[in-house]
Amino acid sequence: MKGMTIIVKTISSWVKVLIFLFGIYIILFGHLTPGGGFAGGVILASSYVLLMLAFGREFAEENLSLPVASKLDCVGALLFAAVALCGLLYGAGSFFWNFIHQKYLVGTDYEFNLLSAGTIPLSNIAIGLKVAASLFLVVFALSMFRPEISGNKED
Amino acid sequence: MLYALCFLLFMIGLYCAVIKKNMVKIVIGIMVMEYAVNLFLIMLGYRFGGIAPIVDKGQLDLETGQIAAGFLNSSVDPLPQALVLTAIVISLGSLALMISICIRTYEKYGTFDITQIRRLKG
Repeated sequence: MKGMTIIVKTISSWVKVLIFLFGIYIILFGHLTPGGGFAGGVILASSYVLLMLAFGREFAEENLSLPVASKLDCVGALLFAAVALCGLLYGAGSFFWNFIHQKYLVGTDYEFNLLSAGTIPLSNIAIGLKVAASLFLVVFALSMFRPEISGNKED
Repeated sequence: MLYALCFLLFMIGLYCAVIKKNMVKIVIGIMVMEYAVNLFLIMLGYRFGGIAPIVDKGQLDLETGQIAAGFLNSSVDPLPQALVLTAIVISLGSLALMISICIRTYEKYGTFDITQIRRLKG
């Protein structure tokens, strides 16, 4: 899959950094403003789709290779499960218990800041990582389609 | 009245998914049906003259920690919005699966027409 002209390559190399930064902002502020892990992960994946469209598929594979994306996908899922299990182990809580908020920081006046709301930002980061890696792998696999017809047709 | 328009959108998607013969048009009809259902779920939680369900520092009473009563009386329901966000991402995954099925069928049969695909091959 070839890339595009030099004008498109120059502009998209500036714009994809801004899209990546906007996706990270949506993930990190997920407990204060609308968004969260899902929407931020889709925006992160769309910055890699822009890279793939403007520069060609081989350049995107050198930037983020397929085994690394697969491992990031698994790391996101395992981080989400680890955050949920920590709620089960620490204190007399259940699965997904917000142990940082309830046990350590319940009385202080720290709400509506960036570092508040306990385990919710950690869950947002894990979900955003998993959704971004999965959607990048899906679009990469769909772009490997070659229109050759195998076999012979009947009738 | 608004629910009837949502139902009309669902019927348009159902018409596309049932009548058309091109495989890509069937996929588009299924996606229009999913959009109509998500829109209906969000419209169920709406309140006329309501504000967005976001609490900032001005509405929090610092002595008691209670949210002001005006916020509860005039905000829309945030629970359908959170669940529909998950449903949108799930429908994106199922769209990827449907597109890959279309691509594999085109590689085997050479056509997108579902009346030409008669016998199982490959």
